[in-house]
Amino acid sequence: MKRYLTHPWLTIRVQLALGAIFVIAAIPKIADPPSFAHMIYNYRLVPASLINLSALVMPWVELLAGLALILGVWKKAARNVIGILLAVFIIAISINLFRDNAIDCGCFNVADRGKTHEQRIFDMKVDVVRDLGMLLMVGQLWWAGKREEDLEAANVAPPS
Amino acid sequence: MERWRLAGVPTHLLRFAKRCALLRRLTISMKQNTIFQAAAIVAAGIILALVANAFASRDRKVSLVGTYPNALKVPAREVPVAPPPVVTPVTQTVATTTQPATITVPPTATTTTQPTATAAIETVGLNPKAKTPPAPAPTTTTAPPPPTTEFKVHPDKPYIEIAYNDVKALHDKNVLFLDARRTSVYEQGHIPGARTYSVWESDIDDKVNKLFAERNDQAAQNLPIVIYCSGGDCEDSHMLAQKLWGIQFNNVYVYKDGFPDWQQHGAPVHTGANP
Repeated sequence: MKRYLTHPWLTIRVQLALGAIFVIAAIPKIADPPSFAHMIYNYRLVPASLINLSALVMPWVELLAGLALILGVWKKAARNVIGILLAVFIIAISINLFRDNAIDCGCFNVADRGKTHEQRIFDMKVDVVRDLGMLLMVGQLWWAGKREEDLEAANVAPPS
Repeated sequence: MERWRLAGVPTHLLRFAKRCALLRRLTISMKQNTIFQAAAIVAAGIILALVANAFASRDRKVSLVGTYPNALKVPAREVPVAPPPVVTPVTQTVATTTQPATITVPPTATTTTQPTATAAIETVGLNPKAKTPPAPAPTTTTAPPPPTTEFKVHPDKPYIEIAYNDVKALHDKNVLFLDARRTSVYEQGHIPGARTYSVWESDIDDKVNKLFAERNDQAAQNLPIVIYCSGGDCEDSHMLAQKLWGIQFNNVYVYKDGFPDWQQHGAPVHTGANP
């Protein structure tokens, strides 16, 4: 089982998929920073002075980390950055679910879609599950990377 | 090497220890390298973000430090008031028409008049409380009620929320209207005469200062201003009202239900970048 879950065939596909997801997610935010700032404001977790800065910087970090995964450059660093971002997203959405503060996630779309409170709460739950799924993908990359390191340390060629 | 020999350590143990030390050093350097690379990704992101913002168009640019007074305050949820239950006369009406033998109402009475909900219940006798005369049917041709708010200066509060009738009355008086939604949304349709004042765009402070320069005496600052956004849980108009109140505009009104309500009432809408 471990051999299959850390197999390079799976790893390369997970890496490309995760990279593509983050590139796709970053584009609408880069295209419209004021709307993304509004989304971050709605979370009511970021101090006022950091809202606009976060709205500017976060999408570019997502884009660069996603591109790094797709191109296979600085894979581990990109994987770690994406893992941290996902953990932050999951915590932020979960806190607002707990507070019953219905918000649009702003993950892939920054336009206000005029949803009801119930629709937003449902979408937030879906977003948490989706982000946990992506965190599992990060976990797979980490596990595969660790196995590769172990094999290299033992001077054994990784399975092809 | 010499130390190990002096200590009398066997050669195979020496090689093993060297390999362990090398591996540990390699692992540490790789970890440091990963941290450095992650920091480089974040730093590159910051630089690209700042450059992109510097070259962004007016409606896509944000100020680096925003002022949002309620950034950490969770808004209280507005629970919609449920409408009073309406009893539909469908089943009762069917009963009166299909079984005329069991009810003493002449068949002509049921066929010529359309029973109201109360009348239908009375006929069947389901609800003994429903003995009140039927309420007059709502007429669609009545004129809207007059404005309920007196538009007096209110320096003690940043804004007063008003509804459509008051908004329409102020619009008819050519009061200044400010649209707090995004410029792109404003261009798709806005209240005629309204100016675009999006609180999320970088030039909002310039626009507010310009308005202050336009209305630089007390009398002008006390003239009413109406601000609106998208209604519902949209707070942009309230945020703009706070900004205006902060520079001595003491007669600001927020159109609570916003532009969707304006459209629902069939009021005129202007499209494009100009007011």
